[in-house]
Amino acid sequence: MKRYDLIVIGAGPAGLSAAIQGANSGMNVAVFDENAKPGGQLFKQIHKFFGSKEHQAKTRGFRIGQKLLADAEKAGVEVFLNSVVMGLYENKEIMVMQQDKVFHYKGDTILVATGARENMIPFEGWTLPGVMGAGAAQTMMNLHGVQPGSRVLMVGSGNVGLVVSYQLLQAGVQVAAIVDAAPRVGGYGVHASKLTRTGIPFYLSHTVVKAEGTDHVTGAVIAQVDEKFRPIPGTEKHFDVDTVCMAVGLSPMSQLLQMSGCETTDKGGTVPVVNSCGETTLSGIFAAGDVAGIEEASSAMITGRLAGAAAANKLGFLSDEDFVEVSAQMKNSLRQLHEGTFSPQNKGRTDLTLTDEGIALSDSLFKYGYLSDGEIGRYPGVTEKKVGIHPVIECTQNIPCNPCQDACRFGCITIGKSITNLPIVNGEAKCVGCGMCVASCSGQAIFLVDDDYGDGQATVTMPYEFLPYPEAGAKGVALGRDGKAVCEAEVVSCRVSPAMDHTALLTIKVPKEMSMKARFFSQEVTK
Amino acid sequence: MRITNHPVLDEFPKGRQVRFTLDGNEMQGYEGEPIAAALRAAGIMVHRHTAKLDQPRGIFCAIGRCTDCVMIVDGKPNVRTCVTPLREGMKIQTQYGVRGKE
Repeated sequence: MKRYDLIVIGAGPAGLSAAIQGANSGMNVAVFDENAKPGGQLFKQIHKFFGSKEHQAKTRGFRIGQKLLADAEKAGVEVFLNSVVMGLYENKEIMVMQQDKVFHYKGDTILVATGARENMIPFEGWTLPGVMGAGAAQTMMNLHGVQPGSRVLMVGSGNVGLVVSYQLLQAGVQVAAIVDAAPRVGGYGVHASKLTRTGIPFYLSHTVVKAEGTDHVTGAVIAQVDEKFRPIPGTEKHFDVDTVCMAVGLSPMSQLLQMSGCETTDKGGTVPVVNSCGETTLSGIFAAGDVAGIEEASSAMITGRLAGAAAANKLGFLSDEDFVEVSAQMKNSLRQLHEGTFSPQNKGRTDLTLTDEGIALSDSLFKYGYLSDGEIGRYPGVTEKKVGIHPVIECTQNIPCNPCQDACRFGCITIGKSITNLPIVNGEAKCVGCGMCVASCSGQAIFLVDDDYGDGQATVTMPYEFLPYPEAGAKGVALGRDGKAVCEAEVVSCRVSPAMDHTALLTIKVPKEMSMKARFFSQEVTK
Repeated sequence: MRITNHPVLDEFPKGRQVRFTLDGNEMQGYEGEPIAAALRAAGIMVHRHTAKLDQPRGIFCAIGRCTDCVMIVDGKPNVRTCVTPLREGMKIQTQYGVRGKE
């Protein structure tokens, strides 16, 4: 029976971060993962992450995954793939199935980082081929390069549903609508906005009631729900789709921990009771990432590293002083992600009406997925400056993110110390129109507006992540925040640069009075 | 359908093109990709039919958890096609219950 200082179960963001920390502290570390490739779900995350520099904000998830793998290799972490951990015992032994044989390993410390699985809701036809998890669709398109379908109904407006919907569009798949039984969009407003402006409708207080078809999905029916989430007869609406994606939450995969006998509790599923460093009630057995409570990859990396440091400290590989330092750093980093409109303590709340700054949150954004024209002026990223090019930041909720502040070298954008503050645009500072802020915004909420383009025209520059890129001179229509055509538009330029990592800057020319309305461009004039 | 042009991902690393059969019909896919990916790219939706009610099932979780996409691969039933790499000459059969079609 082989023995390790630290055994990590799960090679996702939490597990790898713990393994790297452990190995760098001098521990002999083994990571076991049932999959053929390491990285967990990180390699299908092709969007730019939120947070600050220390959270690797504005870096796309799969690039963070590549870096973690490189770091793990450098640190000398041993990664066993195709290795299903089937048993975890309180004496810190594990049983692993590798190539149809079962092996025993012993760890002086063990970290469980097995992640989560997708939830489902049953409805008529939900077992038909074509009904799948949003994560499944993401896996098919972003990892394997295969479209999951041609036209999708997305069920769930949390960040997973929103992010995957956008990625479906990027993969050339149509999204018919996004439905959610809740009365409010669950995910970040910026994620919803970038879908709505392309013309995708949101149906809040609606749920899917039927997937049609005999041997695969050929359509779907949704219906409005009452306050007890029961479908209201007579409100049904039909969509021609071949795919229904379910993004209705995740559940921790804590079976191994339950088997080990550690104390558990219910927190959106069964999770282990852990201390502030992730140690369970069984000494030396730790848990980190989604298995200890559903969050997202950025916090998984932090809790993973924290648990890895705690394990190293427990066995004497990391001095108390060094541990205190790492621990303080990680806890501070985590605290930053846990503030604002979407903080853990605000989860599920529908009564929030104000931002941390005391500004009214957009009702329209919650209800329809876009900021209304009347609301937009109240946010500090939207300046009244009418001379020359300037950024317009349509960031209206306190989400933990600040790359725009670092992107501007000319002092146009201030977020301040707390990364959940709304960005403030300084109308006095000189904007040179470089567009770095536009490309750095993970929420794609920054536009450059120039009202003085001449001839009564203005230009609007927007982030654009679709192919083909429109060519200069191309004519089409500008779409408003609600996805409806507002005016004719002509492409001035479409700039791409390596620094912007596949976010193109599309500049369109519109009549001056439309500069605060035009937020997307479509060459399909029929819109 | 395969994605040939993606605004963020420059390429989808694939192995060489290989041939396999589905219920005796010649198919093509890329070595090393999940069997399920090759099937979906070829427009195949139904992987199996359930034992009692004969209901169709296809890709559901795509990461090897739900077992909805299991098929008979080289004579072995209940193979999770979403996490099993495609190899040259594989013989894949739609599964009925736990068997192939008589």
